[in-house]
Amino acid sequence: MQRLLRRLQAAERGITFFAFCIMIAIVFADVAVREVTGSGLHWARQVGVYANIFVVMLGFGLASAEAAHLRPRFADSWIPARLERFMPHVQEGLMSLFCIAVAVVATLVVLETFELQERSVVLRLLVWPVQAVIPLAFVIAAFRHGCYAIWPALAPQPPSNVEAAAAAVAARKADKAHKADKADKAIR
Amino acid sequence: MEVVGLFAMVLALFVLRQNLVVVLGMTAAYAYLVWGDGAVANIIIDAWDALNREVLLSIPLYILAGSIMSRGTMAQRLIRLMRALTAPIPGGLAIATVLSCAVFAAISGSSVVTLLAVGSVMYPALLQAGYSKQFALGSLCAAGTLGIIVPPSIPLILYGVMTQTSIADLFIAGIGPALLLILLMSVYAIIRNWRLRVGSWSLREIWLSLRHGIWALFMPVLILGGIYSGYFTATESAAVAVVYAIFVELVIHRELGLRGMYDTFAETTKLLGALFPVLMFALALNVFLTYEQVPEMIVRWLNTIITDRASFLIVMNLFLLIIGCVMDIGSAILILAPILQPIAQAQGIDPVHFGIIMIVNLEIGYLTPPLGLNLIVAMSAFREEFWTICRAVLPFLGLMVIGLIVVTFWPDLSLFLVQR
Repeated sequence: MQRLLRRLQAAERGITFFAFCIMIAIVFADVAVREVTGSGLHWARQVGVYANIFVVMLGFGLASAEAAHLRPRFADSWIPARLERFMPHVQEGLMSLFCIAVAVVATLVVLETFELQERSVVLRLLVWPVQAVIPLAFVIAAFRHGCYAIWPALAPQPPSNVEAAAAAVAARKADKAHKADKADKAIR
Repeated sequence: MEVVGLFAMVLALFVLRQNLVVVLGMTAAYAYLVWGDGAVANIIIDAWDALNREVLLSIPLYILAGSIMSRGTMAQRLIRLMRALTAPIPGGLAIATVLSCAVFAAISGSSVVTLLAVGSVMYPALLQAGYSKQFALGSLCAAGTLGIIVPPSIPLILYGVMTQTSIADLFIAGIGPALLLILLMSVYAIIRNWRLRVGSWSLREIWLSLRHGIWALFMPVLILGGIYSGYFTATESAAVAVVYAIFVELVIHRELGLRGMYDTFAETTKLLGALFPVLMFALALNVFLTYEQVPEMIVRWLNTIITDRASFLIVMNLFLLIIGCVMDIGSAILILAPILQPIAQAQGIDPVHFGIIMIVNLEIGYLTPPLGLNLIVAMSAFREEFWTICRAVLPFLGLMVIGLIVVTFWPDLSLFLVQR
């Protein structure tokens, strides 16, 4: 399973790198052509936007693979210490369920766009193949977080010393609170 | 009752350690189901519309340009130049720290990267030169936050996207407050370290360091000069910045090979993958709130409580300072900017000025416990106790609050360069 997740991550990195290069090349070409000829490439921005959608949606998986999602941590120490061992399962399981729900709704939206044969106003291209990256990204994320929920050991560690330090502070706080609680009970 | 249910759900999700994307997605679903027509598919349609916008292109491009430029020895080059320029001033090394942070922040666009890159060189140098540990820690943590306000800043872009305010205007408006904060920190550094020995200017060293650092220094000039002169839009200047950064790192400095470039792209994509799905749900929620006229309702309600502009600004600053203590800047902007900006506008506050006020408030949050990001980073990077660092930043917090008061009650400081 770990190997599969690694390969998935490598594929996401490769595809997003390619899409990122397209985005940079096209937006820059638009500026350069405008400087030379006086008018830019009218389709460039739309292609850049679509490339960006590929980058950020497949990047969602990369963020999951490296535990880089934004998460307010102020309530981290509110869970009693005895329930702490269940938290990785609950945390990842809920994330997986959420991704499944979004993937289902997004698929319905893409199907509707497909049936309507909706096209981009600027590019005159069908929209649904680009739009389909949204459900795809959430399906991949659901799979990934589902794996982490079942096998928490597969889950990535926080990416940087920043997160690690934040976790250390939270753990120290929880430990202190636990000790104070213990001492309080002993006095009583 | 429904509102209580919403708050209970959001709180439960935070307690269960859910990512912000889940919290915002669930909030949007709850809003559509309870107050809307129940068609949750509209969230995805709104999210698609949010993603399918040209203005968002500037975010990945600026982040990538910053990531490329901050790899390698860019920080050392800038530090060398700043040290050469400030050598004969009392507290010169501290001023060099502040200036290095400011310029590096303008290039990297990230406070944490700035603190780590400049701190790793300047912290030992400051201690060696006789500066107190407390001052060294405080100045690095505080100057590290300048990345939030010095353009091009990602929080400023996020604010612009969420409130449909001109990103170019926000960048320009950030210059005055950034200079004020740099000035305050520099003056404090001189006063506090007046007795420390000073060196002398060496024209040779200035010339050599300028030659080494000129390519890095030119980046903010290119971005801001392009935008201010009207030559580039924010997105165009971001694309030019990326190509410039790739050229400098691959051809001039040659410190970042193709493998390093590939890793930098992946690192940036990871950041974008964390940010954009949150952004798309936040924008979808924003569409719903606007459609249901929620900001207008809040404005009407607030107008019955707060009648004058000054009290509004004081209350808003206190509120944002508290938010900065418990929430990261990206989350705070995505959630609060679309709600607070119409309220501020109803009080006659310019949206650009309010954006700057909001950013400076949240910038202070980088230095306030329990979740001050720069405190946590400094604790880890300099291996010091959390509370030692908290004490060290106290004088700088005071300076930044003074800066905040000036920024809040002197709108021209932010708006004098903005062309209307």
